[in-house]
Amino acid sequence: MAPWLAPLDRVLRLLNRTAIVIGMVALFASALVLTYSVFSRYFWKSATDWQDEAAVFLLVGSIFLCGAYVQSFRGHVGIEAIASILPPAVNRVRMVFVDLLTFLFCTFFAWKSWTLFHEAWVDRQTTSSTWAPPLSIPYGLMAFGMSLLALQVLLQLFAQFERGGRAP
Amino acid sequence: MLALGLLFGAVTLIVMFSGMPIAFSLGVVAVGFMYFFMPSASLDTVTQNVYEEMASITLLSIPLFILKGAAIGKSPAGRDLYLALHVWMSKVPGGLGIANVFACALFAAMAGSSPATCSAIGSAGIPEMRRRGYSPGFAAGIIAAGGTLGILLPPSITMILYAVAAEQSLGRLFLAGIGPGVLLVALFAFYAAYRYRKEHRAAQAAYTAHGTESAYLDDTVYTAREKFEMLPRVVPFVVLLIGVMVALYGGYATPSETAGLGAVLALALIALVYGIWRPRDLSPILASALRESTMLMFIIGMSLLYSYVMSYLHISQAAAAWIVALHLTKWLLLATILLLVVVLGFFLPPVSIILMTVPILLPPIKAAGFDLVWFGILMTIVMEMGLIHPPVGLNIFVIRNVAPDIPLRDVIFGVFPFVGLMALAIVLICLVPGIATWFPNALMGPPGR
Repeated sequence: MAPWLAPLDRVLRLLNRTAIVIGMVALFASALVLTYSVFSRYFWKSATDWQDEAAVFLLVGSIFLCGAYVQSFRGHVGIEAIASILPPAVNRVRMVFVDLLTFLFCTFFAWKSWTLFHEAWVDRQTTSSTWAPPLSIPYGLMAFGMSLLALQVLLQLFAQFERGGRAP
Repeated sequence: MLALGLLFGAVTLIVMFSGMPIAFSLGVVAVGFMYFFMPSASLDTVTQNVYEEMASITLLSIPLFILKGAAIGKSPAGRDLYLALHVWMSKVPGGLGIANVFACALFAAMAGSSPATCSAIGSAGIPEMRRRGYSPGFAAGIIAAGGTLGILLPPSITMILYAVAAEQSLGRLFLAGIGPGVLLVALFAFYAAYRYRKEHRAAQAAYTAHGTESAYLDDTVYTAREKFEMLPRVVPFVVLLIGVMVALYGGYATPSETAGLGAVLALALIALVYGIWRPRDLSPILASALRESTMLMFIIGMSLLYSYVMSYLHISQAAAAWIVALHLTKWLLLATILLLVVVLGFFLPPVSIILMTVPILLPPIKAAGFDLVWFGILMTIVMEMGLIHPPVGLNIFVIRNVAPDIPLRDVIFGVFPFVGLMALAIVLICLVPGIATWFPNALMGPPGR
């Protein structure tokens, strides 16, 4: 890793570590919320109007937050069949192309997510249920997660260029 | 419109084969076609579309089923289950192979994951089978094939997706998987017994002719005490399996609540039985569930966006109309569609196959008069075959990790008879649809009521 990339790498590592811890807590909490839903309905006869939405918010949030962490070890699966038959030089170009396209897509998605978040925040949008939690929560988590993912891919793209430059 | 569909398909293939992660490939293709062929305002709603499609509590039960599977998969429950079945079936000829098949089925039903089943049962089962003289390919084949039951027996992630994509009852689909699951277990068990007798006879003949010793000829006898000592560690997990099904079908919990309840119960059980409860013990389980869920849910979210674009541009409808216009006979249509799924299974995981193809394949299947729940089961078995046949065959590579000294060639030849048995199961389910439909109809009434 080039020295000028190291600070970004350190920041992303820290953010990804934090995201995975938050994600783990959210995943466990969503399981507890849905379990509580079953018990509250049958033992205490209380209404279960908020549990499903709370679980959705927790799970959607944890998934988007951890997208960059999974990308950091290239855990998003792809079809790599062609990589093994290409000459090394062509394969390097392919990898740069793939990372560039992924970066552009994630950046576009992050930008549109921030727009969505902004609208939901300004218009005080809520879900249509009786509980009516603000939609800015999941939209904000989606926007933050996708921005982190775009940054992670950008770091990997820079690292590709750096390796390409050193190659004979 | 068909030309646009061909362009859409070609671009998808190019982008996917470039090696870009499947989730982002689907997103890139969808956004690209939105830009060129849809009103510009549609680009503003991309993220809202993805969120609204993903924010379905049924779909989001997937991470919780994965968490339940990870809790059981990362505990020694698989090993204990396998050992208990092995001890209890030691008197049956070929009992060790059959015990492995049963252990795979039970574990798959608890964990809901094919690779986790292969890894958990295979790591104990393959060395034991080889120690008892089973040929390496045969031992690997049993585990690789047994693991595939994970996507057929409830709760199956593949079926959750099919239920969402095909708008079918998830409860009905789960129940419909049980009959074919039992059929496959029976076919695998019969084959294991047949193959055992064949290898046993060969070992006997070699001993008679040349005095060649073989582990096949050693008999181990377990006492009743040894048998009963194995039960306490297994019974809680079988109770979990039954409890979750009762919660779902007894009307106590929705499918998503069942997933949450199952995850909490699985975590509670591994805490009680194996003392796995400290944060440092639980964090690898939660992290692994989160990694797999994130990867899968990204693919699902983007696949739903991809399907939305296909539908908006009338590509799905045009492709479906084209298939109908071929005027294939009912069974030829089914065979062609299943063959297409087999080919797609060479490259794509079941998740993507379902979400990308169901909008195209279901209208012709419906027009031909097939039951959509029954078709979902057939499609699932075909995708199971994809898990064990080359070139991708995920389970083959899991087996290679568990038993790296078995040559790939032996593993592949070992799984081929099981691929044949799955094809036989498909034919049987076509001839006798009741294998899949009887159970849901008996418990939930005929479809549409």
